[in-house]
Amino acid sequence: MPRADVVVIGAGLAGLSCAAELAEAGVRVFVAAKGMATTHWTHGGLDVAAPSGARSVREGIRRLATINAHPYQTLAADTEGAVTAHLARMASAGLPHAGTLDDALVPVPTAIGSLRPAAILPSAQAAALDEWAGEGIVLVGVQRFRDSWAAYAARNLASAAWAGGPAEVHGVTVELPGLERLHNIAPHVLARLFQDAGWRSRALAAIARALPSGAQRVAVPAVLGIEAHAEVHAEAERVLGHRVFEVASLPPSVPGLRLFEALRQRILAAGGRIQIGFDVVDVERAGRRVVAIHTEAASRTLRIGGDAFVLATGGLAGAGIRALHDGSLVERVLGLRVQAPPPDAWFSDDPLEPHPLEAAGIEVGEDLAPAELENVRVIGSALPGMHYLDERCGDGVALASAYRAARSLAASTAVAA
Amino acid sequence: MTFHDASAREFPPFSTDLCIKCNVCTTVCPVARVTDAFPGPKYVGPQAQRFRGPGVGSDAPDHTVDLCSGCGICTRACPAGVLIAETNNRARALIVSERGSSFRNRLISDTDLMGRFGVPLAPLANIGLRNRLARWMGEKLLGIHRRGPLTTFARRSFRSWWKGRGGATALQAGVDPARTVVYFHGCAVNSFEPDLGRDAVEILERNGFTVIVPPQECCGLPFISNGLYEQARAKARRNLSSLAVFARAGYRIVGTSTSCTHALKAEYREMLDLADADASAVADATWDVCELLLDLHDRGELDTGFAPIAEPLPYHPPCQLKSHGIGTPAMDLFALVPGLRAVDSDHDCCGAAGTYGLKAERWQIAQDVGAPLFEKVRAARRAGASRAACDSETCRWQIEQSTGVPTVHPITILAESYRRADADRDRSWRRVV
Repeated sequence: MPRADVVVIGAGLAGLSCAAELAEAGVRVFVAAKGMATTHWTHGGLDVAAPSGARSVREGIRRLATINAHPYQTLAADTEGAVTAHLARMASAGLPHAGTLDDALVPVPTAIGSLRPAAILPSAQAAALDEWAGEGIVLVGVQRFRDSWAAYAARNLASAAWAGGPAEVHGVTVELPGLERLHNIAPHVLARLFQDAGWRSRALAAIARALPSGAQRVAVPAVLGIEAHAEVHAEAERVLGHRVFEVASLPPSVPGLRLFEALRQRILAAGGRIQIGFDVVDVERAGRRVVAIHTEAASRTLRIGGDAFVLATGGLAGAGIRALHDGSLVERVLGLRVQAPPPDAWFSDDPLEPHPLEAAGIEVGEDLAPAELENVRVIGSALPGMHYLDERCGDGVALASAYRAARSLAASTAVAA
Repeated sequence: MTFHDASAREFPPFSTDLCIKCNVCTTVCPVARVTDAFPGPKYVGPQAQRFRGPGVGSDAPDHTVDLCSGCGICTRACPAGVLIAETNNRARALIVSERGSSFRNRLISDTDLMGRFGVPLAPLANIGLRNRLARWMGEKLLGIHRRGPLTTFARRSFRSWWKGRGGATALQAGVDPARTVVYFHGCAVNSFEPDLGRDAVEILERNGFTVIVPPQECCGLPFISNGLYEQARAKARRNLSSLAVFARAGYRIVGTSTSCTHALKAEYREMLDLADADASAVADATWDVCELLLDLHDRGELDTGFAPIAEPLPYHPPCQLKSHGIGTPAMDLFALVPGLRAVDSDHDCCGAAGTYGLKAERWQIAQDVGAPLFEKVRAARRAGASRAACDSETCRWQIEQSTGVPTVHPITILAESYRRADADRDRSWRRVV
């Protein structure tokens, strides 16, 4: 039976970065998750705080921290350390990022040609952050790749209110070699093709031929390799003769795959263990402490004992919290009390407004422990009080809460040892 | 896996409504990674499932489900709790039940039949298995790839050795069920690798267990993998009726193949609809041998007098083991052997997937799936490893055949370490005298 100092439940950005922080501090950590998580659905950049009107991330954090019961009311002070630690970890895992908390939030294009505010992006997306000094933008689509619609995105971008944006917008769709013989052209399939040096040089040559002349930056779907993406990106810039940035497409997100793998490797290298694919089906308690969890197995269960437990199972969207037919909300793993608006407030007239239930979560103290259990920490989007889609603060809250939980648990483990 | 509703466990296709179309499964599928012919678990699973049903037959939209190797990685990756691999296996069985199966698939699934003829004729049969012309003919006539991972027959079956030893085969009065285990050797140990069975018995007895080897057949997994559920059910029912009496009496059933033990634990109920009391009792009583030894160690009861084996050891946890949900107990046991530097392959699948890698039309896919693993094993050999380790037989044969590196069960390493300890003790004792 596995035993760890800290058992982390959940393998999204919050759970994995908490586990990495703990493992790197010498804490024996075990990650148990029911499946792969939200990393594979995201754009791969860091949304720390970008409520509408905020000019920089830091200003966004300040503003969100004034909202009653928002996680940043207690976590704002941890964002600096958390983001710095995360970016250093990613850089050493071959996934360097550009941008800081003090940088201005600038509009960057999405796959459908809308704009979203961003300040911290992995290097393959980072060229989107720089000022557009009279350059044009060329959106490159790939013929037969159903998740890229360059002409559509270009039309949307051309009509978007993009102050300080590119001088002109082009959309080109390119036929890449051999794709006519394939049936399943998904982002990760293209990304693996780009890791083949021979195919890559022919593909980049085909893109180069399709580019209009002039000073411009080139936006491509986020498929420039997985493990070897830095090399692929560098070669793309060299061959195309322009700065190139990736735009995340529909899931599965290749930048998300890279993020997941970088964090996973860091945890394993630091001696942590990861088990993905088995849900928690039972919890052993002793008074106000959790002693062990049991994960589902082919028969019986696997008992995973620990001194402390980190709950990083997500909110309603991540299925850490479930809504029952009677209008009650339950936290699935430990049965913690969920703080949520009453059922008659679950519905709003405008489907595009922030949803009231997004703010549902587990009420915790400053140490992130729930009232019921003293050796449990709740992190990530299981925390209540935020509208992370609208406020664009999900990654920041994930990292800051993971960092706070990891630092305090690492300190108490060191004391115990 | 997240869906605890018993109805989904008993009928996995019920879980497909939980699919949120996120495609995580397609990113982890080892077969889709290497061939465009397979659209991936989502398309042949939750997407196609809604069009399937009894009587739909060849009108069902997607027969590429037959390219699924059954590794189960998709099910474990799914964040929504869809039993994808289980659903796909049932879809294949539906196709087989309506359109029939090839002679080749029925032949390679019937491992007991092979053993019955192969073991008595081992000297002759093994010449055939090693002969390139015979293998070439096997490919042309039967569709069994000439370089597919086949091993050779033992000259004496495990059961014959057990009988010669006077080993117990039935329930005995007055024995302590807690200190007695039932050994499920499966077809591979019986016909191909009896030494592994002897090593397992030796280790179990050394640790204070009495071993019983009741009548048994192949677990039926090769039939399940090939969609031949009726044949699999016949095997499963006979095994259950032989084993259930022990399970009910509180004995643990221990196996040395993580494939067979997974069939006893999970597939009988999830695929074959054998959800009766016998199947549940046997599932609950079944243990992988390393799982059992590690449990013993957790209780402080394992003999840890392991002699050093100072060598690097590439270890590949097979897909079937990963589906057990018990971690990698062999790695924890290797850590008890001084000097042994075991390294987890951290690779998804060797490609063999039971009989998949034997088939002429699947062999290349299986090789491509396993290629990064083979490279890691070859690199380990260059760094001084003389062998590799893996818990399931067909994976061992695949790794060995593809790399030339002898590949053994973890038990083989542990038994060797114990024997060295005994030899060292004997030597030092003789010196004292």
